[in-house]
Amino acid sequence: MKNRSYKAEKVIELLGKKLNRQIVGSLAACVHCGMCTEMCHYVLTNPDDPTYAPAYKGDQLRKIFKRHYDWTGRVFPWWVKAKSVYTDEDLEALKDTVFGKCTNCRRCTINCPMGVDLASFNRMARGLLVSVGIMPEGVAVVSKDQWEIGNQMGVLKEDYLDTLEWMEEELQDELEDETVKIPVDKMNCDVVYSINPREVKYDPRTIADAAKIFHFAGENWTMPSEGWDMTNFGLFSGDDDLGGSVGRRLYEKVEELRGKKLVISECGHGYRSTRCEAPNWGKLDVPFEMESSVITMLRYIKEGKIKVDKTRNQEPVTFHDSCNNARSCGLFDEPRELLNLVVTDFREMYPNKAENYCCTGGGGAMSMTEYTPRRLKSAKIKADQLTATGAKIVVTSCHNCVDGLTDLIRHYKLDIKVAQLVNLTANALVIPEKISLPEEAAVKRIPEPSTDNVLAGKKILIADDEPDILTFFSTVLEDNGAEVITALNGKEAVELIRKEKPDLVTLDLNMPEMDGGKVFEILRKDPELADIPVCIITGRPELRRLIYDRPVKAPEGYLDKPVDEDTLIINIRKILEVKKHSSK
Amino acid sequence: MSDALHFAEHTLQEIALIFMAVVYIIRLLWIFHFKAGRDRQAPTGAFNTTPAKGALYSLANIMMPWGMESTRKKPLFYIQFVIFHLGVVSAILLSFIIPYGPSLLESQFIAAILHSSIGLACLVGCIRMIRRITKPVMRAISSPDDYFSLALLTAWFFFAFWAVPNNTQNGETILLIYFWMTAFFLIYVPFSKISHYLYYPITRYYLGKTLGHRGVYPFKRSNRPEVVNH
Repeated sequence: MKNRSYKAEKVIELLGKKLNRQIVGSLAACVHCGMCTEMCHYVLTNPDDPTYAPAYKGDQLRKIFKRHYDWTGRVFPWWVKAKSVYTDEDLEALKDTVFGKCTNCRRCTINCPMGVDLASFNRMARGLLVSVGIMPEGVAVVSKDQWEIGNQMGVLKEDYLDTLEWMEEELQDELEDETVKIPVDKMNCDVVYSINPREVKYDPRTIADAAKIFHFAGENWTMPSEGWDMTNFGLFSGDDDLGGSVGRRLYEKVEELRGKKLVISECGHGYRSTRCEAPNWGKLDVPFEMESSVITMLRYIKEGKIKVDKTRNQEPVTFHDSCNNARSCGLFDEPRELLNLVVTDFREMYPNKAENYCCTGGGGAMSMTEYTPRRLKSAKIKADQLTATGAKIVVTSCHNCVDGLTDLIRHYKLDIKVAQLVNLTANALVIPEKISLPEEAAVKRIPEPSTDNVLAGKKILIADDEPDILTFFSTVLEDNGAEVITALNGKEAVELIRKEKPDLVTLDLNMPEMDGGKVFEILRKDPELADIPVCIITGRPELRRLIYDRPVKAPEGYLDKPVDEDTLIINIRKILEVKKHSSK
Repeated sequence: MSDALHFAEHTLQEIALIFMAVVYIIRLLWIFHFKAGRDRQAPTGAFNTTPAKGALYSLANIMMPWGMESTRKKPLFYIQFVIFHLGVVSAILLSFIIPYGPSLLESQFIAAILHSSIGLACLVGCIRMIRRITKPVMRAISSPDDYFSLALLTAWFFFAFWAVPNNTQNGETILLIYFWMTAFFLIYVPFSKISHYLYYPITRYYLGKTLGHRGVYPFKRSNRPEVVNH
C-alpha cells in the first residue's frame, strides 16, 4: 500500500466531513455526456486541451470521492477512474485545476442536463486545499488580510476614514454645499452602506457618487467605521470559516449601529456572499434587510426621491452581468431597468443575464497572478462579446468584473471604458433647483484629474528599476503638473530623497542595490525624511506583509501593478490631500 | 417455449429486479444519510419565483430543450438524447410485454413503435460510441464504465430490436440473449453510471430549490439583440 502524505490524508478526511446531499448528488450524477464542455470560456479558447472541460475538472475531485466514499470506486477503482491522492504533488495538481482553470462562474452548472453543480464542489475542493495550506500565494495573502485587518485589500482604518473624509470634501467643493456629509457610525440609520475595499484604494469616486445619491435622496444613512467590507474572500478560497466570520463582522456592526437595512455597493461576489452565502457559512439568521445598491438606486428613482436626466449619458453602453449576481442571486432585471433610466443608448451583449460569460476575473482569479496568461487567453470570448456590441462603455455591477474587464480591454486593445451603475446614475442626477449649479459643474465627475494640473507645485520621486514604468509614471505625473525625479535603484533613491526632499515618493519593492523595503525603513527612521508620504507600487502584492510588519509607520499608499493612469493620479492625489489636511 | 427461455423470461428477471431494487434502496439510504445544505438567507431575485417553482422547473428542465443553451444550440444532439432514452424505455417495456402480455405484440402498431424506437436508439448508441472514441475531450472524461455502459446498452438495443417479434419458430437464441442481457443489465445498473436516473431527481431538486429561492429559476434565457450597424 502506498504511503500517503499528511496533507493528502487530511484532505481525504476533510472531504468526508464536508460532503452534504447536494454535493454527493453532484459528484455521483455526472454521466460524462460532455454537454458542459462548450459552455466554459476556458474550453472555447483552448479547444484542443481537454483538461479545461468542466467534466474533466470535476473528475479531479470526483475521482477522490469515488475512491473513498463511493462503492464501485472503492471495489473497482480503475473501472470508474477512481483514484486517491498520495503526495503533496498530487494536491498541487488539484490546485492547478480548481484555482487555475475554473472561475466558479457556474455557467456549466446551468447547462448541465443532470444539474451537476460543478462550481459548488470546485469551491469545496478549494476549501479542502486551503485547509492544508495549499493555495495560490495571492489567495493566502488576501485571506490573511481579511482575517487580520478585516478587509481583503489590507486597507487600514485610518486610510479608509481619510478617504471618506477626502471624498466628503470633494463633494462639498463640487456641490458648494457644506451640508453634504458622508456620515460614519451614525446610530439608528435607515441605511448602513457597505463597500468594497477596492473603492477606497482604486476607485473612491464610487463612494462619492453613492454619497451624492444618498444625499439627494434624503436618505438617513451611514457608513460603519469598522466591518465595512462587504467582500468576502471565503467565497473564492472555499473557506467557510473565513466566509462566516467576515459576514458576522458586517452583520454585527449593522446591529451595533441599530441600522434598519444593509445596502451593499455594486460587487458581485460581495453581494452574493453578504446577501446569500454568509448566513449559511456562519449559520446565522440575519435580523435586518439587505439589498444591492442597484435596487436602492432604482427605488429612489421610482419613488421620485431622485431625478435623473439620461441625456447626460449619451455614449453607447452595454451591460455585463456578473456571474455571482445573475447566476447565483437572480439580479439581472433591475440593473437593466436602471440603465434604461440613466443612459440613452443601451445595447445588450449576447449572451446575457444568467447565460452571460464570465469576465474571466471571477473566482478570485485577479489575485492569482500565476494564472494571468491563462485568464487573459480565455478572455478572448469576452473581448469578442464586447466588441460585437459596438458600445463605448461597458457597465457592470461588480468590482471584480471592473478589474477583469479593464485588464482584458487593455490586453485586447479595445476602445471601451468600464463603469458602474453608480457612476452613471450620479452623472445623470438632476441637482435640485435650490442648490443648482452651472451645467458644467453639475455634470462634473469626481475626480477628473487628467486634464488639470492637479499636481502642480508637487515634487514626486519615482523609484523603479523598470525604465518603461519610470517613463509611464513620469509622463502621467508631469502631464498633471508634477515635477518628477526618477531613480533606477534603491541606493540612488535614498540619495535623491535626501537631496531633493520630495513631497511624495513612489517605491517599487524589487530593485537592485537596495530593495524598496529597505529604502522605506531608512526613510521612516530618518527624522528629516520620516514625514514624506510613501506609496509602494509593486508587482508583488504578496510582499505587503514585509512592509506592514516593519516597526515603523505604515506607508500612506500601497498599489499593485499594473497601475493605470486614473488609479495612479487618484492615489497620489489622495495621499497629498490627506497629508495637507493632517498638517493643517 | 423451452425451460431455459421460460427461466430467462420469468425467474431470472424477477431475481434481477429484486436485486436491483434492494441495491437501489441501499443506495438511496446512503445518499439520504448525508444532510442537505440549508438556505438561511431571505429570497433574492424576481418576486414570483419560489423554491418549489424552481425545483419543479429544474426537474422539468430536461423536457425543455430551449431552456438550456447546451441543448438549444445542439438540437441534433438533443434529439439523439430523446431517441436514446425512448429506446431504453421501449426495451424495458419489451422485457415485460414478452413474458406478461405477448398478445400486445400482435398489434402491428405497437410492434412498429417498439421496433423503430429501439432500432433508432441502437443507431444513436453507435453514433455516441463513435463520438466518445474519436473526440479527445470525450476520451479524456470517459472511464471504462462509460464505454462499457454505452456498449452494453447499444448491444442490448440490438438484441431487443430482433426480439420484438417474439418469434421462437426460428430458434430462441435471440430471445435468450436479450433476456440474459436484460438480467445482467438490471444487476449491473446500480453500480454503473446508468444509475444516473436515480440521482437526477436529487441533483435537479436541490439545484432548482436553491436557484428558485434566488430568483434564477424559472430561467430567463438571454435575448439575442437586434443587429446594430456600427
